[in-house]
Amino acid sequence: MAVVVLALLLGASCLPKPPTESGDISITLYGFSIMKESLEKAIFPGFQAKWKREQNQEVRFTSSFAGSETVTNQILQGVQADIAILSIDRDVQRLKDKGFVKIDWHALPYKGIVNKTPFVILVRKGNPKGIHDFPDLAKPGVRLIHPDPISSGGAQWSLLAVYGSELVKSEKETGEKDEARAFRTLEAIWANVISTPGSAREARTQFETGFGDALITYELEGLLMKAAGTADVEIVIPRATIFSEHPAVVIDKNVSASRRAVVDAFQHYLWSDEAQQAFVKYHFRSATNESFNASNTELSNIELPFTIDYFGGWDRAYPEVIERIFRDRVQRR
Amino acid sequence: MSTVIPTMRHVRGFDVVRPLSIGMLVFMMLPLVFLPLASIFIFGTSNGLGKFWAALMAPEAVFALKLSMATSFWATVFNVLFGLFAAYVLARYNFWGRNALIVTISLPTAIPTAVAGFALLLLWGPYGTLGRFLAPHGIQVMFTAGAIILANVFVTFPLAFGVIKPVFDTMNRSLEEASATIGATRWQTFWHVTLPSLRGAIVSGALLTFARAVGEFGSTILVSGNLAGHTQTAPLYIFAKFNEGQIEAANAIAIVLALFSFLIFSVLFFARDWLDVD
Repeated sequence: MAVVVLALLLGASCLPKPPTESGDISITLYGFSIMKESLEKAIFPGFQAKWKREQNQEVRFTSSFAGSETVTNQILQGVQADIAILSIDRDVQRLKDKGFVKIDWHALPYKGIVNKTPFVILVRKGNPKGIHDFPDLAKPGVRLIHPDPISSGGAQWSLLAVYGSELVKSEKETGEKDEARAFRTLEAIWANVISTPGSAREARTQFETGFGDALITYELEGLLMKAAGTADVEIVIPRATIFSEHPAVVIDKNVSASRRAVVDAFQHYLWSDEAQQAFVKYHFRSATNESFNASNTELSNIELPFTIDYFGGWDRAYPEVIERIFRDRVQRR
Repeated sequence: MSTVIPTMRHVRGFDVVRPLSIGMLVFMMLPLVFLPLASIFIFGTSNGLGKFWAALMAPEAVFALKLSMATSFWATVFNVLFGLFAAYVLARYNFWGRNALIVTISLPTAIPTAVAGFALLLLWGPYGTLGRFLAPHGIQVMFTAGAIILANVFVTFPLAFGVIKPVFDTMNRSLEEASATIGATRWQTFWHVTLPSLRGAIVSGALLTFARAVGEFGSTILVSGNLAGHTQTAPLYIFAKFNEGQIEAANAIAIVLALFSFLIFSVLFFARDWLDVD
C-alpha cells in the first residue's frame, strides 16, 4: 500500500515532457481564433515538407489560438511567440509600440496581410427571424451573439462591418454618408446582444450549442460550420460588408539569430501560391491573387464590399468608430 | 470518531417523513448536481467508448492531465508544509498582529481567481514589480509550469491551513506536556506526539488542496500561456477544446476530472475514521 502511494506521488511529481519533442528546429505561433484549421491542416505540414526538401531539417510547430487582443496581450506579457497572425492591424501596432516588432510591417509584401474574409450573418435553418441584412438584427426579439470587442479582433471587424455597411449604403442611395443612421443601427443591434464571448471562435461554439438567433462573424466560420455539419445554419450575405484583413508578423524580440532564417522563411511561405491556395481551400480569400478564390465555389459574392481603407485605416477607424462611437456612445448607455 | 446518526423512536406506525425527506433531498439535487454531471458522461460516451478513449489518449490531452497532476502535487506539498507551520505558530504563540495574519492567510478563498492570475502577472511579468528585475537576466517565471504552481499555491493557500489549525486549537496539550516531562526535546515531542494526532488533518488538507488545484482555471488561464503540449493544464484543455467546438475532446477530460474528484472525496470520507487517532 505504502509503496503504491509512494509510486503514485513520485509519478505525480514529475513535470511531463512535451509530446512532440522530435524535430530539429521549432517555431512557436500565436494566432487569432479562426486561423487554427488552415494552419494545422495545411500550412504547417506544407512548410514542414518544403523546409525538409530544401534544408533537410525537421520543423516543429507549437501553436496557441485565442482572441486577437488576448493573443497580443499574452505576447506583451512575455509569451515566447516567434510569429503572430492577428485579426487586426492595431494589435500589430501595439506590439511595435512596445518593441516586440521592430520593423515597419506595412513595408512587407501585401502590407503584411496574409489573407482576408468578409463579415456575414449566421442564422438558424430556414431563417425564422427573417434576417436579410444588418438592420434586421435590430428587430425586436432577435437574440444576437457578438464576440467581445475588448478581447476579440473579430468583434471589432463586426462593429466596423455594421457601421460601415450603413454608411456605404446611404452613400450609394443619397450620395452622402448618413452617420446618424449608421449610429442608430449599431445602437439598436447592440441592444439585442445577449452574450459577448471572448473570441469569434467562442461565439461560434455558443451559437453551435444552440444559443442565440444570429451571429455576426467571418464568412469562413459559417462555411466551416456548414462543412462540419454540427449545426443547421444559413449564411446571410449583407448587401454591403467589410473584408477583414489579417497580418502576420515576426516577433523580432523573441526570435534568436539561429532561428531567424526559418521563421522568416515561414512568414514568406504564407504569401506563396501554395499557402494562398491552401487558405482558399479553408475558406479564406487570397491576399495575393484574386483568381485563386475561384477554386472555392462556396465563397459568396458581395454587392458592395469595402475594407478598412474606407475608414482611413485602423489608425482612424479604432479611435473614431470603436472608441468614440461604440465604446463611448453605444456601450456606455 | 465515528458518527452516530440519532434515530427517532416512533411508538407505532410507519415513519413517512423518512422516505419523503430522502426523496426530496435526491430530487433537489437532481437538476443541480446529478443531471449536469450525468450529461457529461452521456455526451462524452455518446459516440462510443472507442471515440472516448481516442480523445483521452490524444498526446495533448495526456500531457494536460500529467501537467495538472504535477503542478498540483508541488502546490500541495508547499501548502501542506506551510499550513502546518502557520497553524503551529498561530496556535501556539499569541502576538501583536496574529489575527491580521490569520485573516490574510484566509483571503485567497474570497479573491476571484482571475484577480489571483493578474496579480501574479503584475508581480512577475516583464513590467512587474519583481519581474522587471528578473527579465534582464533572462528569468521568465510567467508562462511556465512554475507560473502554474504559483497560481495553484495562491488559490489553495488557506485550504490545508484551515483544516490543520482547528485541530491544533483543540489539541489536548497534556500529552505534549507529559512528553516534555520525560525528557523529550521539542522536536521529538512534535515528531512523536503532535504530528501523529494531526495525521487526519494533514491528509484531508492535502487532498482538498490537491483536488482544488487540479480544477483551478481562472488564474491558470492568465499566467500559463495556454500552449497545448507545453503549459496547458487539463481545465485549460477542456476550455480550449470547447471553444474550438471539439466538445467530445473536452468531454473526455471532463469525465476524467469528475471521476478523479469523486475518488478524492470518497477517500476523504471513508479514510476519516482510519486517520483520526483519538
